[in-house]
Amino acid sequence: MRLWRARQCAALLVFAGLSSGVYAHPLRLSLTQIEYSDERQVLSVSLRLFLMDVNEALVFDPDSTQLAFCQPDESEDADTLLLEYLEEFFYVKANGQKIDLKIKSKRLSGEGINVALGVEFEHSQPPPLRSLEIRNAVFTDLFDDQSNVIYVHVNGGNKSLMLGKNTPSHTLKF
Amino acid sequence: MLNRLTASTLALTVLCVGACTTTSTVDSGPNETEAALIARALDIHERVLTLDTHADTPLRMIEPGFDMGVRHDPNDSGSKVDYPRMQEGGLDAIFFAAFVAQDIRDDDGKSRAKALGLQMIDAVIKSIDDHPDMAGLALDPDDAYELEKAGKRAVYLGIENGYPIGDDVGNVELYFDKGVRYITLVHATNNDLADSATDPEGPEHDGISPLGEAVVAEMNRLGMMVDVSHGSDAVFYDAIKMSKAPIIASHSNARGLVAHQRNLTDEMLKLMAQNGGVVQLTMLSDYLRDAPENPQREAALAELMAGAKPATEMTKDERAQLREARSEINKKYPNPSATVADVVDHIDYIVSVAGIDHIGIGCDFDGGGGIDGVFDASEVMNITIELVRRGYTEAQIEKIWSGNLMRVFREVQAVADRFESMDAD
Repeated sequence: MRLWRARQCAALLVFAGLSSGVYAHPLRLSLTQIEYSDERQVLSVSLRLFLMDVNEALVFDPDSTQLAFCQPDESEDADTLLLEYLEEFFYVKANGQKIDLKIKSKRLSGEGINVALGVEFEHSQPPPLRSLEIRNAVFTDLFDDQSNVIYVHVNGGNKSLMLGKNTPSHTLKF
Repeated sequence: MLNRLTASTLALTVLCVGACTTTSTVDSGPNETEAALIARALDIHERVLTLDTHADTPLRMIEPGFDMGVRHDPNDSGSKVDYPRMQEGGLDAIFFAAFVAQDIRDDDGKSRAKALGLQMIDAVIKSIDDHPDMAGLALDPDDAYELEKAGKRAVYLGIENGYPIGDDVGNVELYFDKGVRYITLVHATNNDLADSATDPEGPEHDGISPLGEAVVAEMNRLGMMVDVSHGSDAVFYDAIKMSKAPIIASHSNARGLVAHQRNLTDEMLKLMAQNGGVVQLTMLSDYLRDAPENPQREAALAELMAGAKPATEMTKDERAQLREARSEINKKYPNPSATVADVVDHIDYIVSVAGIDHIGIGCDFDGGGGIDGVFDASEVMNITIELVRRGYTEAQIEKIWSGNLMRVFREVQAVADRFESMDAD
């Protein structure tokens, strides 16, 4: 029985292969870190996004230098376009209230196709923090296999989760 | 190598052969038909233990609601491994790698990395506990063979990136006790243990740091395999020198075929052979072949963009529509993926340089791995088919699929046993 199933698969895989090439690119990944402590009373949100993906999403050219993030000649439109995109695909709700995403800082790291844009947000949040609802569907409109990894650090506790096209949001209770 | 159309036709024939016959005759001579060759390959695939040494599936396991016991559509979810698809593909055993992305290297960062690493390991254990009829935790080489006999997938644990060890070598034993049997010392950027092959800042330790050397010694003492994938070239040479046991590259290819820093040079392959270690070939297109041009896609995108306003002058809706249109073109004209032929080209090459005893398979599913013909765990038998087509014997295929890695695993354990004997003396 097991062998027969294997034979079946050998037949089917050829057809799957014909339509699978779009997924041949390396893993599509973003990393988000969310931190909170009662002492600081600040909710920090940090996103690390591949710059090529950001440029594809915002100006339709992965290799574009038009927005020039973090460069001396950064475009006036850069933050506006970025926030407009994030508004559609990303939010954090603290105790049920959506936090206002205001950019505190940005930075670039890495080189070549691995350059990442880091974006930091901070939000004043008095304790207690009872829940965090996180939606992160960034780039799922571009890539079906986009994986958005979230690390949450709240009052000494740590939790990781992955969000994507099929599971764009999740709520953590504290 | 067959073209896709021919392969499709033959594969349909095989479906009939599989459904209509209960035994296959062994005829590997010049008159063997393609259908018979595939049937013979599938028989071999069934008989040998098939082991994939690297999958980032624990990342999937932390997706809320993701169930390893349910078959997922890779074209819908991007997921490449679950227990049903391992069974379909005849993939008997796998190393799930708990991966924590490199972050700040202060005490806080390290303690968080440890917590997150342990959470990933626990997610793997839970996936087994949730499906005891499908999978079992494997700790020793023999466990995989026992689980295979029981019709279960053997799940080994690894750690990709030594960051969760922090600066406490004692954590290595903590992870060993949890079931971890290899640690990839470093990932995409340098950490406190070792230099990465791809850190844009360049080397920091000129290979493995003193802390990393202590970690290697502790891994030797405990019986954990030292994994040099992702490490700089100097990390490879240091690991060869420092480790008292053979080492592994859990997911790396041949630089002699593709000049990527993540791949191993001929000199490294030869040293790996002298060391008695093993290189586990990975299914990342960029490591397997130089990316070809995609003129149809480029032309379609150019035509689309020729009529578009500058992005900064578009409304939000117009930008969303254009993203969707570009996404459709990308799906219609995907970048050509590497093929099974590319995979076996690397196997041929590594065998020619290092010998048949130093090559294995580490697909890197759910970490970017997946090519045309080996897109997910359900398709790994295509590797065996191509190996048979190129004349590899069953004994050689057994070595590639698991025998070589298991030999290293046993030697690593034997070294640990000698450490224990010395302690007792």
